[in-house]
Amino acid sequence: MPDIAATAAMSPVAHTATNTAADATGTKAGRLPSAGRLLAAQIRYQVRLLISSGRAIAVGVGLPVILLVASKGKDTRPDVAGYAVFGLTITAWSTYGVRLVAAREEGVLKRWRATPLPRWCYFLGRILATALVAVTAGAVTVTAALAFYGSHFGDGPDTQLTITAAFAIVAVLFLGAFAWAATATALTRVIPTVEAAFPTLIFIYFPVIIVSGVLFTNISEPHWLSTFATYLPAQPLIDAVTHAVRHTAGAPFLPIRDVIVLACWAIGGLLAAIVLFRWEPHRPTQRRAARTES
Amino acid sequence: MSAVMVEDLTKQYGDLAAVDDVSFEVPDGQVLAVLGPNGAGKTTILEMLEGFVAPTAGTVRVLGTDPHRGDRSWRARIGLVLQSTSLDAELTVTDTLRLFAGLYPAPLGVGEVLDLVDLTDDAQTRVGVLSGGQRRRVDLAIGIVGRPEVLFLDEPTTGLDPEARRRTWAGVENLTSAGTTVVLTTHYIDEADHLADRVIVLAGGQIVADTTPGDLRRRGGPSTIGYRLPDHITPAELPAGIARHLDAKGRSLIIASNDLAASLRELISWADRQHLDLAGLEVGPPSLEDAYLTTIGEPLTPEVHTHA
Repeated sequence: MPDIAATAAMSPVAHTATNTAADATGTKAGRLPSAGRLLAAQIRYQVRLLISSGRAIAVGVGLPVILLVASKGKDTRPDVAGYAVFGLTITAWSTYGVRLVAAREEGVLKRWRATPLPRWCYFLGRILATALVAVTAGAVTVTAALAFYGSHFGDGPDTQLTITAAFAIVAVLFLGAFAWAATATALTRVIPTVEAAFPTLIFIYFPVIIVSGVLFTNISEPHWLSTFATYLPAQPLIDAVTHAVRHTAGAPFLPIRDVIVLACWAIGGLLAAIVLFRWEPHRPTQRRAARTES
Repeated sequence: MSAVMVEDLTKQYGDLAAVDDVSFEVPDGQVLAVLGPNGAGKTTILEMLEGFVAPTAGTVRVLGTDPHRGDRSWRARIGLVLQSTSLDAELTVTDTLRLFAGLYPAPLGVGEVLDLVDLTDDAQTRVGVLSGGQRRRVDLAIGIVGRPEVLFLDEPTTGLDPEARRRTWAGVENLTSAGTTVVLTTHYIDEADHLADRVIVLAGGQIVADTTPGDLRRRGGPSTIGYRLPDHITPAELPAGIARHLDAKGRSLIIASNDLAASLRELISWADRQHLDLAGLEVGPPSLEDAYLTTIGEPLTPEVHTHA
């Protein structure tokens, strides 16, 4: 333990005197770190948490690749766009949502809220980090499909993946992941416990991906349902990835309507998250009253 | 100006007044312990000081700022330890502290903080595998890494074993000796006695005592002499003047006295006649626990007779 004199040198009074000095972390003393720097640190931290837990990678990459492998040798060729979107959305929706609720209920969010970190920095960093990992999951699925099947996969013409098209795929995957994660952020407001998180998220997730044709492309569904699915954030994402994968000369890399739908979900989800985001653990009414007495 | 100023503070949840018209100030550098039973309003007051909860009525100022409207600059000047541990398990202790240190304009060095909370040996250990006491000290480390002017500690040692509590106390003492203002809530009387310059006792959302640990102790009544009778001595053998001090079980003497010397003379005289060596005799001031229970209106248990 340091002695009293050494400790005294760290007192608030003492640190006022050292405000002009640079501290051990390299931050200019007396000035709060910039929001950009804090956001970058938050993204790095959240990516590290996602990767170190292993579950996000196992689900986001493992499941689609298993489905790809299981499809080999069947009559119908696998829909790589659907599998990539499956890996991406389950990461950006279920994995992300469950982790966010767990962090809130364990008091981690409350702890961060008490620091000088701008509040938007925390959840934007979390969303962006999840989007990066989800995009990686989607990109790995596409790469695995190429390695496994060459250019002959999915219905329709063979794959024509150029460098520009690859960038377009990454961009639209990122937009899609952001849209799913931002919407999940808003939804966590109404999820009271960690136990309720997974069932709630999955209850919404599976109907959306099924009507959107993420996993099963040959389902016959009413016209109104097909039309409705084009306004959800899954089918436009599949369409956009498929479009980019099979890009033909002279056509745009991404279908503009699909990009607009995804952008609407991303912006709408983010705005809803800003309004609805809750930092404090949820407490039932009678427990809240009990706690406030302590 | 005081580091903390609370005036006519009230927090209402429906019909329940969790905090009821409370006023106090905490001067710079003071260590204030807020004591009280469950339901007294300790955590509610602390959460209003930290800015998590808005008061229903009254005024709160911490470092001259309304905590509920405190901006980044204000939050950089306070530190806190929440009631429950709230850490991501995947990072090491050092990485966790480095991450939080990066949020502040003039943080302490990570090595210094580890030293202050006695976690240097666990610097590279993942938070998830630490014991409860070690995690609590990581919480404390995060609370102080920003070099706070005011530190809030919400039951910092609840659930810890005696050794872990002592280590946590040492960490707090290292900080308070440097002049940091500290407001802590606790259930432990000895914690308040050990750490605090001043004690506020809450009951039913109101302040029932605002004093020093020494003054609070004096409210517990006169000093006491405690002596457990040897097995071969029966209560019937005791002279009437001594027998009236028997506890409920009739095996121990608890003599609360304003004249310790006279009471001791009487006891020693009797022991001399009985050829007793008075092994195990205890003489001490009134306990803080007795004083606390008296203050909040709880009956004292007859067996309470152990004094420091």
